[in-house]
Amino acid sequence: MSPEPILVEQLSKTYQVPEREGGFGAAVRSFFKRKYKDVKAVEKVSFRIEPGEVVGFLGPNGAGKTTTLKMLSGLLHPTSGRASVLGFTPWERKSDYLRSMTLVMGQRNRLSWDIPAADSFLLNQAIYRIPDDEYKKTYKELDELLELEPLMKKPVRNLSLGERMKCEIAAGLLHRPRVLFLDEPTIGLDITGQARIREFLREYNRRTGAAILLTSHYMADVTALCERIIIIHHGQLKYDGGLTDLSRKIAPFKLIGVMLSDADSHDLSRYGTEVQNEEDMDKRYLQVRADEVTRVTSQLLADLPVHDITIADPPIESVIEQAFNQ
Amino acid sequence: MLNIFKRLWQVNWAEQWQYRANLIMYLLYWLVSPIIYLSVWTSIASAKGSVNGFTAGDFVNYYMILLIADQFTSNIVIHNFAYKIQDGSLSGELVRPIHPMLTNTLVNNLAFKALILAGFTPVWLVLTLIFKPDFSGVTWQGVLLSIPAMLLGFIVGFLLSAAITSLAFWTTRVYSLHEFYFAVILLFSGQFVPLTLMPKIVQDIAQYLPFQLFMYYPIQLILGKLTTAQIIQGFVVGLVWLGLSILFFNFVWRRGVKQYSAVGA
Repeated sequence: MSPEPILVEQLSKTYQVPEREGGFGAAVRSFFKRKYKDVKAVEKVSFRIEPGEVVGFLGPNGAGKTTTLKMLSGLLHPTSGRASVLGFTPWERKSDYLRSMTLVMGQRNRLSWDIPAADSFLLNQAIYRIPDDEYKKTYKELDELLELEPLMKKPVRNLSLGERMKCEIAAGLLHRPRVLFLDEPTIGLDITGQARIREFLREYNRRTGAAILLTSHYMADVTALCERIIIIHHGQLKYDGGLTDLSRKIAPFKLIGVMLSDADSHDLSRYGTEVQNEEDMDKRYLQVRADEVTRVTSQLLADLPVHDITIADPPIESVIEQAFNQ
Repeated sequence: MLNIFKRLWQVNWAEQWQYRANLIMYLLYWLVSPIIYLSVWTSIASAKGSVNGFTAGDFVNYYMILLIADQFTSNIVIHNFAYKIQDGSLSGELVRPIHPMLTNTLVNNLAFKALILAGFTPVWLVLTLIFKPDFSGVTWQGVLLSIPAMLLGFIVGFLLSAAITSLAFWTTRVYSLHEFYFAVILLFSGQFVPLTLMPKIVQDIAQYLPFQLFMYYPIQLILGKLTTAQIIQGFVVGLVWLGLSILFFNFVWRRGVKQYSAVGA
């Protein structure tokens, strides 16, 4: 067994995208001579993920997250760079490699639309050569965590979005992969559904020691599952490290919230940068450097009619947004 | 591997059942053009006595067997695969440790054929009552030999269609390309007209092409119209094309998968 499940070095992917202006003339011209534009989806990204690690892969839309996952699961050939997962080069697409990893993407993947999920599960059992007893055991575990049984007999097309996602994830894990690439695994699920998938993934990781690389737009997925995050933006790696370190490195600020009598009449600009907090309109918020917090707090208390005061870390969303924009 | 095919069969068979109405449309589509050619040629032959020695009865025999050969050798790869490349739904199949074309798509075609055959058989029997073919020339040797011949025709046809369908990795216009390929088949397989009625030069070319394996060659085998030398030549040409189509498909597929951009989710 290789020492590290995922090793990525200088991985790049450039798409050639046909482009033309609108209008009839341009359409005719493009028929004879097409113009292509190079779009750098991923640019010289390097990282390494150890066995058992759960890593959140973050970035705004179009940052190159999915492209990276597709390369690591062998769907896409990179333009340059190297990657090794469990000792395999993913895009060589060796059967032994495909049997030991999984890629869960969106809604439509492993399940046949027109037939009950149970049939697709049995097909996967055959494809991944899962012995009967092991299959039963894994299915039982999946059923306990995801409550699959009531869904198995219905044609997949008749399942709700969330039900389908549960079945997709289960279908992708029947063969007990050692590496999981999950693209938005909780998309379309309600709050309980999301929490259940999270709990399930944490449990799966604990039981099997599988490495997980996941993207999500739900920050709760990331904070619940990942100790480490990788941020990419415009195809380039912006941050790779602990989730807790992120705020310290990217945004070493705290938010001080104060509730004042006749709140609007005071000028707070000399204490720090005032910021909006949509969730709490009763207080006014100041962004203050972490090492200034004690000084500013005591000054506020001394100078102003403060009813209530809170000190908190900035929300992870806004920290990550700052990281994108750096 | 056998187990995989068994499960694939179950899934694809169940899927095909979901599309029964669709299947009937396919069946009609498949029947229409041979029956038109049959009707046109028999009426010309009856009016003139014969066309280059082909009597109306000969045309009836030829096209009634053609309907069978067509059922066994044709495929629907373009219809159930090209869109997966174009909309990215192939991704789900590509991450599985089995070949998407040579397992799932192959079985899907077979399930389709099995089901359509069930609808085809009664229709064919009714057609024999209408057109009254004379099968007195049919020999059991011919029928037996036609089985491996049609199998060869199906495999070669499947691989060629698979290779052409795989061009969808590069172009979104693969359907028009396939239409052109279809026209070539129409001409050189003996569907439009029995190859013996074609100009000499076309016949000379056609006997070395793979398309006669789809229709003309097995039909003539069944009708007992081929000499031993012609039978051997047909199989040799078929086997050579089998090798060539394997190489061709592999060549296109390997490059295509590298080209794949896994669009969409």
